[in-house]
Amino acid sequence: MNAPSGLDLASIPERIQSEVQRAIQRSIKGVEYIASSGPSLGSTPKDVLHARGTMNLYHYRPIADEIYRVPILIVMATTNRGYILDMVPGQSFIEFLLKRGYDVYMLDWSAPKPEEKSLRMEDYVLGFIPDCIRRVQQDSGETDVTVIGYCFGGVLSLLYGSIFPDGPMKNLICFTTPIDFREMKLFQNFSDRRYFDVDGLVDSVGNVPPEMILSSFEMLRPASRAASQVQLWENIWNDEYVKSYRMFDRWATDTLPLAGEYFRAITKDLMWDNKLFNGTMSVGGRPADISKIKVPILHAVAEHDHIVPYDAAKHLIMKVGSSDKEEVMLKGGHVSLVAGANAIKRLWPKLDSWLGGRSI
Amino acid sequence: MADKANDPVAIWQTMIGEMEKGFNSFANQAMGSPEFSKVVNQVGGATAGAQKQLGELMEKYLVSMNLPSRVQMVGMAERLQSIEGQLNEIKAVLHQMQRASGKAAGDSSGAPRPPRTRRPPSPDGEPK
Repeated sequence: MNAPSGLDLASIPERIQSEVQRAIQRSIKGVEYIASSGPSLGSTPKDVLHARGTMNLYHYRPIADEIYRVPILIVMATTNRGYILDMVPGQSFIEFLLKRGYDVYMLDWSAPKPEEKSLRMEDYVLGFIPDCIRRVQQDSGETDVTVIGYCFGGVLSLLYGSIFPDGPMKNLICFTTPIDFREMKLFQNFSDRRYFDVDGLVDSVGNVPPEMILSSFEMLRPASRAASQVQLWENIWNDEYVKSYRMFDRWATDTLPLAGEYFRAITKDLMWDNKLFNGTMSVGGRPADISKIKVPILHAVAEHDHIVPYDAAKHLIMKVGSSDKEEVMLKGGHVSLVAGANAIKRLWPKLDSWLGGRSI
Repeated sequence: MADKANDPVAIWQTMIGEMEKGFNSFANQAMGSPEFSKVVNQVGGATAGAQKQLGELMEKYLVSMNLPSRVQMVGMAERLQSIEGQLNEIKAVLHQMQRASGKAAGDSSGAPRPPRTRRPPSPDGEPK
């Protein structure tokens, strides 16, 4: 009997042996997986410079012998924890920046408490970010600050930059930042103003629960969680795969609640009225038109981003008023753009080459 | 070694990947409809209200069982946070005093900070 074309009969025993070994390893490692805790995340040495309610400002201890003059303030998305940018040594964006000689601060968020349900967009844009900038200036002794915003942290940074176009922000870097909310098709449908009673929700629950935020993210790719668990079982013999899976899974499910009034403003101003895109956005009565932003700006977007599709992000560079501006599209998804093996190869070196000369 | 077209493991992995893509795509189409939005928001609104009521009921139950309620635990956490906040403020003040006294600038661990004189590397990889 002839073997099907391409099938090497001699390799079959070797393949069976390898699969049996993997099956044994799966059983052993599967037990280890259940019994052990995941890797420790966010362990780059840092100091809490200031904490106020939901806001935490960290300063990471410099590693290089000589650092760039302009410090960096990273503004994290309000739905997720900042340790996505500081996973484990060797896979930490923060560690990468420190090794390349940057002075790094991060505005990270903890879960808003029930009494913080009244935090509004202006508390974030006119309160927390300027407060952190001031403290970074004070701590570093420098006037200029580079701001890096990830996802909705990018939206907050854009709003801040458009209200304070004369500084002290010297450079702005946005990762996967949406400005045209009509193009976030599924989120648009979830929050359809005909059916989504945002006032009723916020008035009844206060802060929007993290389970609801997580479900809305997971609904964008409803089969992916089950598929990733099948892939985990297949690869459970592979320590590196398991470590990576645990890191990303823990982060993805560690979603934060959103302050009620802030969520109401996001829904009405951005999702419903698309004010940031239309140039009609205002925060605390102050116009926030991104065409006012004149500082050098880099926008990194992901080719396969299912949370912020390219159509939702592509107008950012066109709309800002900066003359020194660049958009870079890199392979990867919303998270793999900034963390993991993909980011190490692509985004991080790109960012370093762009920012180094603008940080002196 | 068998090529991918004949490798049962590779075939299985491809099948899982394709099923995931197919289901996601199908679900995205279904979730893009106004009917989906209507149903989800009706159910979601009812669930949110029920969750709030259940939370209030649990709170009363825990008080009757002489157990700390969530509100009390949150209160304790707040006190701890407030203590941490005050410690951070003290650290910041000490840091400022250290600076004002003319000692080298350092982080709150007390280590001196490196000079802000770094230049980007030249194209050949050497620092300028």
